[in-house]
Amino acid sequence: MTMALVAEGIHKDFGGVRALRGVSLSLTEGEIVGLIGPNGSGKSTLLNVISGVEKPTAGTVTLDGRRIDGKPSHRIVGWGVAKTHQIPKPFPGMTSGENVTVAALFGSLRRTDLRQASEEATRVLRLVGLEAKAGTLASNLTVQDRKRLELARVIATGARILLLDEVFAGLSAGELREAIELFARIQKELRVGALVVEHVMRAVLTLSHRVVVIEEGRKIAEGTPQEVVRDPAVIEAYLGTEAARAAA
Amino acid sequence: MNFLRFLRPPTIADLRSILKIGPTAWGIAICLLVAAAGAPFVATYPLTILIYLLVFAALAYSMNFITGLTGYVSFGHVVFMGLGAYGWGTVVGTLHWSPLGSVVIGGAVGLLLALGLGIVTLRFRGVYFAIASLVTALAAVNIVLATPALGGGQGIILNLGFEPLSWFYAVWVILAIEVGMTYWVTHGRIGYGLRAIKGDEDAAKTLGIDVTRLKLFVFSLSGLFAGAVGAVNAWTVSGVFPEAAFALLFSLLMLAMVIVGGSGTLLGPLVGAVVVYIPHTYFLTVASGAEFIVIGGLVTFIALVIPEGIVGSLRRYVPILQGILE
Repeated sequence: MTMALVAEGIHKDFGGVRALRGVSLSLTEGEIVGLIGPNGSGKSTLLNVISGVEKPTAGTVTLDGRRIDGKPSHRIVGWGVAKTHQIPKPFPGMTSGENVTVAALFGSLRRTDLRQASEEATRVLRLVGLEAKAGTLASNLTVQDRKRLELARVIATGARILLLDEVFAGLSAGELREAIELFARIQKELRVGALVVEHVMRAVLTLSHRVVVIEEGRKIAEGTPQEVVRDPAVIEAYLGTEAARAAA
Repeated sequence: MNFLRFLRPPTIADLRSILKIGPTAWGIAICLLVAAAGAPFVATYPLTILIYLLVFAALAYSMNFITGLTGYVSFGHVVFMGLGAYGWGTVVGTLHWSPLGSVVIGGAVGLLLALGLGIVTLRFRGVYFAIASLVTALAAVNIVLATPALGGGQGIILNLGFEPLSWFYAVWVILAIEVGMTYWVTHGRIGYGLRAIKGDEDAAKTLGIDVTRLKLFVFSLSGLFAGAVGAVNAWTVSGVFPEAAFALLFSLLMLAMVIVGGSGTLLGPLVGAVVVYIPHTYFLTVASGAEFIVIGGLVTFIALVIPEGIVGSLRRYVPILQGILE
């Protein structure tokens, strides 16, 4: 059965700051949804709410009809939804291989056998092109490799829906092209769903089947990448009123 | 009931896997067995030295469970020792239980206390956890002093015999179990989880680790063993005295041993115990007080120069030892 993740009317307040003001979105296994918006529009907060890092102030998140909002993140991972970190958070004293093994041992696959888990880790490292660095301490990896490691870890949890928080940010043009191709290939192979939060427009527009745009905690547009980039509300949010008028 | 699997009779494969525990575990096992076999033939004075060395080592392994494996500095760890000793003293003194069997009560008190405290204090991170644990230890002394049933300022004085061999074997068993548990914890799935928590707790959570439960598990183990050692320690002086039972010095020594030996390692606490115990005992008789200067200097030196401790640094800088030392 295809897994479906639905977030409805999500509100999140941090004291007086209203980070999210009723955002709804849905995503099914196999689908890539881009989530874009200007800085501070609430993209990462939304991922944090879905992954259980933050509790929503109001609204619900359901996975195949089951409420998951407010549940601890380790349980949400167990149900097959896993998130990468905007700033990679590798376990510094462990090798890349061990980092990924942790995910295989504790994710939704729950491998209890160490050998099975490390075989799984090797397989996933090969998938993301990090197999040559399996024995390297995570603290010695380059930025690009750390991002790959983040991706490898969420895949190794066995998650069916990946929440990717700016995995394409901070890469050079060449690295970016490589990363986009890599991710497209992996997604095709594993048939996972992905909610991709991104500043890098090229990555979102190339990869996504559907794009959701939020601004100041509200959804302002949703549609195919082509529709969204022509939407006056989106142009206004990104470039200001003048540009929107000129485009129209 | 998966976890009860180990109750089935051992198979040949099990016995073979026991042989594969690696050189470090073998080395410790042999040392422990030699000590156990030789103890009856050792004169009283060296035997008491050996007993206190094992007490130190057992405390170091206890601290290693929480501070070594998760990075949470349990500054008030002596509270488990102290209340374990009081638990033991109470059942021995008022219920007249055997001092040896009552060591289990000491452990139980430590375990329950760690569970109760851990649920609250393990929510704090870094220095806040250290402060919370320190405050707990300071509060515990005052609560005990104000409790007439526990003897108030006088403590619990027992009239037990001088039985160094019983003390020795009691602490030996605790130490052996601790080493076994440390091996089991660090070599399995839990070990990966703990290393992940030590590395980055938030990342550990988002990869499916129930960090609260795992931290509570090792903290409880830590409390269990510290409580049991506290009981044996009280037995060696035939009584429980508030100022001595809750002396913060013990917390500091436990931390020093873990840091010096190599935190989170299998051999580190033992090495740390030996290295810290020697100046501690030597200067106590020669120039009392000087031991603190020596131990303090040693800890500062290690923390600054080789923060991974003796065992961790040997592993890092001596390539041959990498596959041998753990």
